[in-house]
Amino acid sequence: MLAVQIKAKEEILPLVSSKRIFIFECLGCHDVYYPVEEAQKLIDSIDQEIVGRATLDYLCHADYDREYIKAYAREIERAEVILVFSCGVGAQVVSSLLDDRKVYTCCDTLYLAGFQGLTAKEFDCDQCGECYLNYTGGLCPVALCSKNLLNGPCGGSQGGKCEVDPDMPCVWQEIFDRLAGLGQLETMDRLGPPKKWNVSPA
Amino acid sequence: METHLEDYTKFRPKPAEEISDVVRRAGRMFVIACGKCYKVFEEEDEGQHNQLLETLGDDSARIAGHARVDFLCNEILSAKKIAGLELGDCDSIGVMSCGLGVQFLARLFERTPVYALSDSVAHSVNYPTDIGYHGVSLEADKCAACSQCYLNLTGGICPITNCAKGLLNGPCGGATDGKCEVNSAVDCAWVRIHERLGRRGELSSFGYVQTRDYSRPSWKTENQLSVQNREYRHAGFYGGFHPLEKKEMTADKRIEPLAEPKVAVIFLCQHLGKRAKPIVEPGDTVKVGQKIGEADGFVSATIHASISGTVVAVEERPYPAAGRRELAVVIENDGRNEVHASVQPRDGFEALSREDLLDIIRESGIVGLGGAMFPTHVKFSPPKPVDTLLVNGCECEPYLNTDNRLMIEQPEEIFAGIEIARRILGVDSVLIGVEENKPEAIATLSALSEKHPSVQVVSLKTKYPQGAERSLIKRLLDRDVPPPPRGLPFDVGVMVSNVGTLFAIYQAVARGIPVFQRVITVSGEGLSRPGNYLVRIGTPIREIIQHCTGGDVERLLDEYDVKMGGAVMGIPQESLESAVIKGTTGLTVLRKPAVPVSEERDCIKCGRCVEVCPMHLYPLFYGLYGKQGDPGKTIEHKVEECVECGCCEYICASKIALLSFIRQEKAYARSADKG
Amino acid sequence: MKTKSNLERVLESGHFAVTGELGPPASADAGVIRKKAKLLKGNVDAFNITDGQTAVVRMASWAAAVMGKEEGMDPIVQMTCRDRNRIALQMDVLGISALGINNMLCLTGDHQKFGNHPAARGVYDLDSIQLLRMVRDMRDEKRFQCGDEMAVEPRLFIGAAENPFADPFEFRVPRLAKKVEAGADFIQTQIIYNLDKFAEWMKGVRDRGLHERVKILAGVAPIKSLGAARYMKTRVPGMDVPDSVIERLQKATSKEQVSREGINLCVDIIKRVREIEGVAGIHLMAIEWEEVVPEIIGAADLLPRPVFAE
Repeated sequence: MLAVQIKAKEEILPLVSSKRIFIFECLGCHDVYYPVEEAQKLIDSIDQEIVGRATLDYLCHADYDREYIKAYAREIERAEVILVFSCGVGAQVVSSLLDDRKVYTCCDTLYLAGFQGLTAKEFDCDQCGECYLNYTGGLCPVALCSKNLLNGPCGGSQGGKCEVDPDMPCVWQEIFDRLAGLGQLETMDRLGPPKKWNVSPA
Repeated sequence: METHLEDYTKFRPKPAEEISDVVRRAGRMFVIACGKCYKVFEEEDEGQHNQLLETLGDDSARIAGHARVDFLCNEILSAKKIAGLELGDCDSIGVMSCGLGVQFLARLFERTPVYALSDSVAHSVNYPTDIGYHGVSLEADKCAACSQCYLNLTGGICPITNCAKGLLNGPCGGATDGKCEVNSAVDCAWVRIHERLGRRGELSSFGYVQTRDYSRPSWKTENQLSVQNREYRHAGFYGGFHPLEKKEMTADKRIEPLAEPKVAVIFLCQHLGKRAKPIVEPGDTVKVGQKIGEADGFVSATIHASISGTVVAVEERPYPAAGRRELAVVIENDGRNEVHASVQPRDGFEALSREDLLDIIRESGIVGLGGAMFPTHVKFSPPKPVDTLLVNGCECEPYLNTDNRLMIEQPEEIFAGIEIARRILGVDSVLIGVEENKPEAIATLSALSEKHPSVQVVSLKTKYPQGAERSLIKRLLDRDVPPPPRGLPFDVGVMVSNVGTLFAIYQAVARGIPVFQRVITVSGEGLSRPGNYLVRIGTPIREIIQHCTGGDVERLLDEYDVKMGGAVMGIPQESLESAVIKGTTGLTVLRKPAVPVSEERDCIKCGRCVEVCPMHLYPLFYGLYGKQGDPGKTIEHKVEECVECGCCEYICASKIALLSFIRQEKAYARSADKG
Repeated sequence: MKTKSNLERVLESGHFAVTGELGPPASADAGVIRKKAKLLKGNVDAFNITDGQTAVVRMASWAAAVMGKEEGMDPIVQMTCRDRNRIALQMDVLGISALGINNMLCLTGDHQKFGNHPAARGVYDLDSIQLLRMVRDMRDEKRFQCGDEMAVEPRLFIGAAENPFADPFEFRVPRLAKKVEAGADFIQTQIIYNLDKFAEWMKGVRDRGLHERVKILAGVAPIKSLGAARYMKTRVPGMDVPDSVIERLQKATSKEQVSREGINLCVDIIKRVREIEGVAGIHLMAIEWEEVVPEIIGAADLLPRPVFAE
């Protein structure tokens, strides 16, 4: 469910210098975004002995990891460093299962809008616990405005674009257009009170 | 089974007053509720909706109707489902879902107000600093996708999602007894990190100072990623996935003839339809290309000897489809390789009538050689006119290069086969679809197509199951074949034929050679001589594998799995006793996984199977009802429309054997249909 | 009178008000503030002190304001939501008032991306409208945002900014109305070069009677060079510089003449906005060119500035 990019080798090589390595690689989300070739390139650039390599789907699933850890017990035992190619969840699960071992991740996890649902989208939901969509024509300013503004656009909205990024649409322009289309422009006059940033459960 | 399921419910109803207020200003409202995701899947009752009506009290009269749509954020499927709803004369749409569903519907219903009846909730200690996403399994660990992973410094415990202040450089002064000052029910992340680093012997590495870069990645990067991802996954047709192709092992290997087997096991059923009737007996001598099995009725196919020698048995032998035994003619090779007199080049075949050509095809035992094995003479006699011939050169299965090599080495013959097929079908327009991972084949065919103005070669972005007829028709012609089991390509004026089949048509019609041999790819790990081989039908798998490993194969199955076909759709072989049939596209030898296929877990409604189903189905239901022993319910979920491409099972995060449930339920549906 | 603000007094007494602007230094150099304040003194009724303008780190607005106050002037502290959550904002509001400062301009703030620390985390706990309401409630209701009461309220004349030229244009008047509703006593507009569009916006303002509820100060600024004009036209979000302005400056033959023409243009604009009904004053932004302020104000017949007895 997450997209990853491979860390620079300058960041990884000092962690593995003259150590035996075991590799966990997760392909569960490779259809989302997992750069197979770049991962291999990083692995190829490591000069140390690779004592084993487990490739599996859904490294985030602790049950599966336990089985693999059992199957590769000997190799993992021999390894001094365990490298993980997966999103931050997979890396954390492996770390927690190999609690006293040096487990390092080789990936940075990227954010993909819409992916707390199922598909990548141009819009997003921050799951803020205080849905504003009823006042914004169904477009979310919490997730999509650079400044999280709740009372209309700032002074930087021009030509439908956000001042922060000329490629990024101004969500408040979109909200305005949507409400105009719905004949609900009066909704724009509503004073949006300060947001309760603490309503999502911890 | 120990589970680590966390409750990831993504939304909860808005407070009662707010819901009442919305409904009062919304006029008549139709309510669409998402079936929720990332939770243990159990069939839900009307609970969610009844609760809403209860909340509304007298105002519930304003609700015009309601519907549940699973995975509401799946825009393509949900739009289709919603188009089929009777919304009546409602003034507004109410939505119970996370913000993605609400926003999607607000886009879909441009002129109708869409209202959220629920608030979405994030699950992070650290909200709103960062939102903790999880993987597809429901573990406690979360990832905020911050693009600058700190786990290598923190013993693999994320301070961004686990520390209430998102501190990167150690704990604050507030932890008491190892608990967070903000929430005493939660362990202080930094206490945990400190302990873990201690166990890992990494406490000395603690001296760093980290400052977070909130500017990365840019909106453009993220958005491009989203757009690219969507385009990549929806390219050409909805669903499917991108397996690792692994074609390089044999892509450049020329087709080599393999020595004829000492004994050929020629099954009498190498096609869909009725088994052929044997017309030889033990003791008979036969020659190469001699007919040994007569088609039994229209939907059946003729069978030919592939070697010369003596028939030693007509008996049941292990069939390549797991667990089955089938009647076969067993021939012992006399080593003479004598060709039967019926195998004669046919001069002037260009002048033959459509009926004559179909006769030759039937007599030559031609069936769909892409693996489907449907008798070609039946397929080429469609009850409706067709206007386009789609030549399938996709070969989307990993490892296989059978069609690829044929296109490279025998392109003239394929084009000649296409011309024959065109005459039979009376079509002008021919499209050859080839996946872009076969550049040499595309170049070869494209060069030749210049001499054939009605034939166009199209390069397709690689995706499985591209080669499935429906996917291919959708992608190349943008026509939707009505759903199976009744809808077929000719319903939209299309005939699809595999390149191998067209090659066989040319061989049969022009050269008089029936189907007694075919090209297969033998590939995978542990083979010293992987390659593309021209093999006789009936060659035992053992002999082929022996040739390709160059040695002892007895212990092979201990370490390797052998599949007839490719890695995805291939049929696993329990032994090496079976033999090549007409539908054998290859043999794939794969190292057994270090961990055997895991026992299945509860479905967690991650929705991956829905995302990959090219038939727009919701495969998770087949697993659910299959387990509940209620196959009747799967008919409501259109199990009959499944084409068994296997994408759902391949992607399933809970390792549920969806295909076997589906096959069982389809069988039930067929019997229910008849009964 | 809600406060002891000189600006409020000028406006309430019906004078056409003039405010100026002062950018604090990107250093701890107090001398810069004092020098610039002296240039403005006597020429403006009050002056804004920017708060990390364009998201570049500079001396704190309130600190520079205290120095301006010591120079005998009436500073307007700008306060943005970019760098402070509601807790920090309210603490600053209390402190500013206690230091004897009488005016505050409530802004969302330029995005951190534009500044010299683009990796910084933007806060945006509140937006400018919520900030206005919060400050007004602190003053008029003696309540913090959470509802708790306080013993001594901050007495601040509350301002807001509005950009008549940003999109969607149709929302720009309703947005002003929101700011008035939220608690703005005065408004300073984005720099005006497109007078027609400004007049159209002002008509919308009058149609809703907003000019009677809030004092509107028209934003003006002299253009120093052709490059600056082009930069504003193409690079500054929310700026509307018509081609006619560029053409007018292009006619000048030397750098000095361009500057001169920029000053003349500014004076012309002041004279014209003054004639628009509902415009209560101007806000002159001559950042890093403070020395021309007396000349412009003089040429626009706005001197001397009114002086009130304590």
